[in-house]
Amino acid sequence: MDSKSTTTKPIPITAMVFIGWLFLMTFLPFLIILGMSFLERTPVGTLSFHFNLNNYIRSFQYIYLKVLFKTVWIALIATLSCLAVGFPVAYHLARSKGWMKQLGLVLLFIPFWTNFILRIYGLVSLLGNHGLINQVLLHFGIIKTPIEILYTRTGVYIGLLYNYLPFLVVPIFSSLEKLDPLLREAGFDLGANRIQVFWRIVIPNIKEGVFIGSLFVFIPMLGEYVIPDLLGGAKEAFLGNVMVNQFFVMQDWPFGSAIAGLLSVLLLITLWLQTRWSRTPGLKMEGLDA
Amino acid sequence: MRRSNPFVAAIFFIAIFLLYTPLFYLILQTFLNNPNDLKSGFTLNWLIKLFHSPSLWEPLMTSLEIGILSASLAVTVGTLGAVGLVEFASLLPVSIQSLIMLPILLPEVITGLSLLLFFLLLRVELGFTTVVMAHASFSASFVYFIMLEQLKKLDPQMAEAAQDLGAKPHEILWKVTLPNIIPGLMGGWLLAFTLSFDDFLISFFTSGAGLTTLPLKIYSLMKIGVTPELNGLSFLMICISTFLVLLLVSKEQSRKWVLRG
Repeated sequence: MDSKSTTTKPIPITAMVFIGWLFLMTFLPFLIILGMSFLERTPVGTLSFHFNLNNYIRSFQYIYLKVLFKTVWIALIATLSCLAVGFPVAYHLARSKGWMKQLGLVLLFIPFWTNFILRIYGLVSLLGNHGLINQVLLHFGIIKTPIEILYTRTGVYIGLLYNYLPFLVVPIFSSLEKLDPLLREAGFDLGANRIQVFWRIVIPNIKEGVFIGSLFVFIPMLGEYVIPDLLGGAKEAFLGNVMVNQFFVMQDWPFGSAIAGLLSVLLLITLWLQTRWSRTPGLKMEGLDA
Repeated sequence: MRRSNPFVAAIFFIAIFLLYTPLFYLILQTFLNNPNDLKSGFTLNWLIKLFHSPSLWEPLMTSLEIGILSASLAVTVGTLGAVGLVEFASLLPVSIQSLIMLPILLPEVITGLSLLLFFLLLRVELGFTTVVMAHASFSASFVYFIMLEQLKKLDPQMAEAAQDLGAKPHEILWKVTLPNIIPGLMGGWLLAFTLSFDDFLISFFTSGAGLTTLPLKIYSLMKIGVTPELNGLSFLMICISTFLVLLLVSKEQSRKWVLRG
């Protein structure tokens, strides 16, 4: 068959099964939760099918806005911390040769294929009052009473840093790998020193990749639920925790759904920023095609 | 100029060390008389206890069954999608592309809650079936991307040759395409299985009251307060996960996904 007929061919039935499945099992449920956000809960606990924006207006109250800003702020600081640790890690990997590079990447990722809940449990038993850190510090007499890390904001930061680090290392690593070594050499030949080459050649060439990588860590952090729940205690609730609370504790599904809607809008804005920045049309997940 | 400076190398090694510390500590705790006291001496009791507590074996079996079924479903659906869309992959409208990316991009907490609402509205009883469906709904897209890559590597002339020799479309699919993408199928299945076996949040919302998967069991034990059995269980889970990773890394098609997390 010629190429012209390929492009105008209708989408085959096999693909329709997949698209139908995604529509039914992902998009439709998502539409339902969005639709729910425009309903209201009556005082007796039933749903009132009176479409309005009350839930969204309510979500702009101070207490919810505070949670929103706190979520964005913690995710931002955690992303920057990931960057601060992830950049040297990626830089070292990119500079390693052959099997060292492969081994380094595999070593970086093995912990992430152990169960997620288990990794959190590992952190809990490390950071708790009877945890490894406190045991060691108490044993050597460095501290007299256990330091509180678990169930504080520090705990949340450690949890986020621990769980997201490799996902930032990989995009930085691949941008460094794509950098033509001749560019650096040319810089040296023209008399630049190491610092100048780093700031004026390496950084400008990888900053887009680093930025997109950061967003792909930042975005899922915004929707985080388990880490603040298990490492932060009640005080450090994210938007996701408040949402689940509305569903299961307050039994207010419409308002919980409105928070889901708000979170989706937040994600859309971030994604939109990403597509604008990367100058690639449509949705594109960095690295999927690498 | 190839060597990176010692400061950068030090950060790398410290970071790797810290990534492994919680896991090694969990393994160590399994063998401590008092898991919260390093000086309490060693024992095998917790591991022995683990093998005698049915309350922990049942969730393991449930997780395995859900993993096998949801991975099979996801591979079927995802592969059908990739087979059908491989010719169009680069010129798909943004709406379809977004639909395929949606399960990957949507925060799990939203996916889980929206599936919960969906099942409740349909009046489906929450339990084994809903968890299998939910897991297959998010892993199908991952399988799709793996299969798409595998299919792109196939020589299109093979299918054309089969067509010229008189094969019907379904015969081409079964006798030409399928045998050539088996490595991808195995990689995709393993990835989908691992995603399902690992999943906590989606199961948390879609499992209802009666069903307990292994991650759900760990979570509830953690919420009650840490029990020594939990440490035995962690040890077992770490063994299973390490085994799965080694399997995934050994497959060319899924290696890339392992290194992406």
